[in-house]
Amino acid sequence: MFDVVFRNFGFLMGGLWVTVKLSIFALVGGIFLGMLVGLARLSKKPWVYYPITGYVNFLRNVPLILVIFWFYFVMPILVGQAIDPFPSAVISFIVFEATYFGEIFRAGYQTISRDLINASYSTGLTYAQTARYISIPIAFRRMLPSLITQSIVTFQDTSLAFVIGLPELVRRASIVDNLEVRSIQLFGFAAMVYFIFCYVGSRSSRHFEEKSRKANIL
Amino acid sequence: MIEIKNVSKWFGDFQVLTEINETIDRGQTVVICGPSGSGKSTLLRCINGLEPYQKGEIIVDGTSLNDPKVNRYKLREKIGMVFQRFELYPHMTALQNVTLAPIKVRKWPKKKAEEKAMQLLERVGIPEKAHSHPANLSGGQQQRVAIARSLAMEPAYMMFDEPTSALDPEMIKEVLDVMIDLAKEGMTMLCVTHEMGFAREVADEIIFMDAGRIVERGTYEEFFNNPQTQRAKDFLSQILQ
Repeated sequence: MFDVVFRNFGFLMGGLWVTVKLSIFALVGGIFLGMLVGLARLSKKPWVYYPITGYVNFLRNVPLILVIFWFYFVMPILVGQAIDPFPSAVISFIVFEATYFGEIFRAGYQTISRDLINASYSTGLTYAQTARYISIPIAFRRMLPSLITQSIVTFQDTSLAFVIGLPELVRRASIVDNLEVRSIQLFGFAAMVYFIFCYVGSRSSRHFEEKSRKANIL
Repeated sequence: MIEIKNVSKWFGDFQVLTEINETIDRGQTVVICGPSGSGKSTLLRCINGLEPYQKGEIIVDGTSLNDPKVNRYKLREKIGMVFQRFELYPHMTALQNVTLAPIKVRKWPKKKAEEKAMQLLERVGIPEKAHSHPANLSGGQQQRVAIARSLAMEPAYMMFDEPTSALDPEMIKEVLDVMIDLAKEGMTMLCVTHEMGFAREVADEIIFMDAGRIVERGTYEEFFNNPQTQRAKDFLSQILQ
């Protein structure tokens, strides 16, 4: 009954590879940018705080699918030439996910006491060094379960890139479906693949939570 | 030399420091005491530029903090600070806590920084805890690591902000012993503490603060045996109970 999946296995797995690649770019870029966005959201400098807060509030209140769409159609106007779906999707995801990761990092930074930061400053470390060696690593560890949860959401959301024709897993399932009309099997298979990835991810999140609680390090 | 001239500071409308004047010479140990909320900790934070003040001037070795061009990070390298709640970096071992600033600020090679850090951990009596995380150290051990962390930058001055008041009684002595040794070796120290035994042993001067002002100053004997103000008498009778 799932012969349609087996016959097109290579093609579908190629879609999974696109999904994974997009997820990796989106997560690495989104988390890195999110670290900085979180810092900016706690900045006392108005010219840092207000623009970044505006950016975060705007993107957190529009659907991701519109950001992907809009970016794909606006980019050619800005750069003067058509842009491939993949780089367009990567940039949309980084810019969008950074707002969510930014809020997670902000919450993490706020768990760090003022005097811990003062202790770092009092040894001569600068703001950037304190962020790099103290605030970011501590926030990262304390927020690891939330970061993993958001990463799982990002992985699932990459399927939205199919609206701009990116040949990721869902897009490829629908291409095969158009030819062979086996919607239940094909989309059922895609759902299973997402489930396996995300289930492993959420279990690992639980594992890290337990581990850090036991180690009592933070 | 640290010169504090007519320094006043406000948090909003609330004045936390009022016209503070004080000079700390090299090699001196000055103890600051007073009830909580009297501005002692705030004064320390103003001296190394962690808190701004609105009036007056603080000069450290001839460099005025009022100068907007002064490099606060550079200034802080020569003023070590120890906090009430230790404030060790929780994700690093004791050794990493001590070596971070020498490696990142002084650009020392890791090996040199670690050798120096081990000497310091030996000096504060806990070389065997070098590879432990703060969560696995007692309060007294954490505070001694914090002192080693400050000393690693070879500061000219050390400031202590109630270093023993978060400690269980049996751990206070191990921290005070380290501080007494430091004072006797000639470190210039500014200590907010209510440990009068420590003050008697090493303080060149005691400052008593109340409601943001310095209301008394003198040697241990002068302050202890002959307090001038009612406020200081009340305070002494409370802490000596």
